[in-house]
Amino acid sequence: MKAVGARLPRYDGVAHVTGRTTFVDDVRIPGTLWTKALRSPAHHADIKGLDVSKAAGMKGVRAVITWEDVPLLEYGHLSALGIPADEPLLAKDDVRYKGQPIALVAADDEETAQAAVEAIQLDLEEKPALFDVRKAFDSDAPKIHQWGNWYPHFEGEMDRRQIRKGSIGEAFEQADAIVQGVYRPAAIEHVPLETQVCQVVPEADGRLTIYSCTQALYFSMGVVAAHLQVPLNRLKFVGGTVGGGFGGKVDTATETMCSLLALKSGKPVKWRWTREEEFLCSSTRAPWHMEIADAVTKDGWILGRKMLTLHDSGAYGRFSPYGLTKHSFHHTGAYTIPHLEFDGYCVFTNRVPTTAMRGFGVTSVSFAVETHMSRIAKELGLDPFEIRLKNANRIGDTSPNGVVYTDPSTVPTILAVADELGHELPADYRTMSSELRTGELLPEHLVGQLGTPEAH
Amino acid sequence: MRLTVNGGEREVESAPLTPLLHVLREELGITSPKAGCQQGGCGACTVLVGGVAQRACLLPVAALDGADITTLEGLGSPEALSPVQASFHENYAAQCGFCTSGMVLAAHAYLEGGGTPDRPSIQHALAGHVCRCTGYVKIIDAVAAAAGGEASSNQRWLPRTGEESPVEIPGAPA
Repeated sequence: MKAVGARLPRYDGVAHVTGRTTFVDDVRIPGTLWTKALRSPAHHADIKGLDVSKAAGMKGVRAVITWEDVPLLEYGHLSALGIPADEPLLAKDDVRYKGQPIALVAADDEETAQAAVEAIQLDLEEKPALFDVRKAFDSDAPKIHQWGNWYPHFEGEMDRRQIRKGSIGEAFEQADAIVQGVYRPAAIEHVPLETQVCQVVPEADGRLTIYSCTQALYFSMGVVAAHLQVPLNRLKFVGGTVGGGFGGKVDTATETMCSLLALKSGKPVKWRWTREEEFLCSSTRAPWHMEIADAVTKDGWILGRKMLTLHDSGAYGRFSPYGLTKHSFHHTGAYTIPHLEFDGYCVFTNRVPTTAMRGFGVTSVSFAVETHMSRIAKELGLDPFEIRLKNANRIGDTSPNGVVYTDPSTVPTILAVADELGHELPADYRTMSSELRTGELLPEHLVGQLGTPEAH
Repeated sequence: MRLTVNGGEREVESAPLTPLLHVLREELGITSPKAGCQQGGCGACTVLVGGVAQRACLLPVAALDGADITTLEGLGSPEALSPVQASFHENYAAQCGFCTSGMVLAAHAYLEGGGTPDRPSIQHALAGHVCRCTGYVKIIDAVAAAAGGEASSNQRWLPRTGEESPVEIPGAPA
């Protein structure tokens, strides 16, 4: 406990400020090959022809790989959790987003690798692309995924993440007003200063040493081992130094392909994405489409919420079903609403696949919920702090998925914000706490949802 | 071609239009300048050329024959941090560390040019240096502290309230 309350140096601080930290790109292995990728120039197309023979025969080119070189072509990022795979490591029959990797070249230097990529013959037949999640459900929408235009494998083979709680019909019948809003935060690129990079060294004993910038080392190890169809003890991952990730280095973006190139060429291989590739091809935070309709009373209680979420998963599933699940659990935000009807879909589009970013799945819904709380206050002519405090999660309240709160922090947080802003509050609000609801703070509609904190 | 790099004379054999960044990293093995964008947009490759902060990714080496180059390795050592390095360390201005090399060198040049703790001036001096971790506040704090002479060696580490002696942490400056 010596560290609590002390002001301590970062363990890596001196190395950082003297330039001694060894990032993946700084690892020096003599004879390392450089990698370049042939990426899809189209958003959506069938692959009619792919010929790498000319590239493979060029001077200085040591290995070229396509889908044919991958022992297990499809392995989902959530396969370990039983969620089926949908994405080939390298495109085989079609491409579904601009920048999707099709073939990779490892060569003596960067220029040779790039020249070889340009010598690959690729024949594409372009197809209509889908970018708007709202149009994915139309009968004439482009068909972009083998599972349909939205993810169909939630528990019980449901095609959506669904939450039903209480009696939504009753709530809307009893409401004094219905407050509606649509919220659409856009995609965000993580922009780590260190682009995606890895270096793979084939060792004499048959193992691969993989220098990785991953944020999820053991997870990446599992993904690489699965694609390569080798046991985990063939892979030695070296990680822990990440030049910025923010969620964007959870996906296994480079390690598997570099491993295949290292095995095929028998030489150390490095792949460092350009900034352009990082913007064009790396996964982003998802764009979200959220529609909320709340049944409210004129004194500011929220009786019920209907919500529809369309989560733009991009071209493949990756982590999106997990992100949407987190999103659904948080769709009432820091507030207690007893009657709920939530439907969320992971929609496939021809965007780059989306992924985790700081508060995966939750930041989007927090933005929507907080904006909506202020909208309710405005439409009802009430104070935005008071309506938040009134509906705030308290001990004994239950979340959308039935968790009983034992230590919620909504009330003290909102009071602290009010203090910082100098916002005046009436005495009964000023003295609120997170304690169990009683009296006026336990209106009839909240009685039925109360749980037993001791049991959790 | 000849360069003076961190005080030492180096012969360089790269082709004339090779960017200085590539020469430093790939030919000379000096890795503190980072290839963040290679388009002059992020500042992570910054080095001092004759004491002036410049982006190594945009400089063809042919234009630098005889130039005096300083990278972060040449500023101070782990045992003897320069004032700006010490201040970055003490103010937690380095998080992931990838932009730090360019930030420290730009800040060093700012102070050598008579920079003051004035925050807008510091912001101006660091314009074009991208950091995605810190939100810049601690970086500006660090430069301001160094400009105000507040950077010191190991005076900012504090024990928790009520304890008498500083906490010993492996890796902390003695």
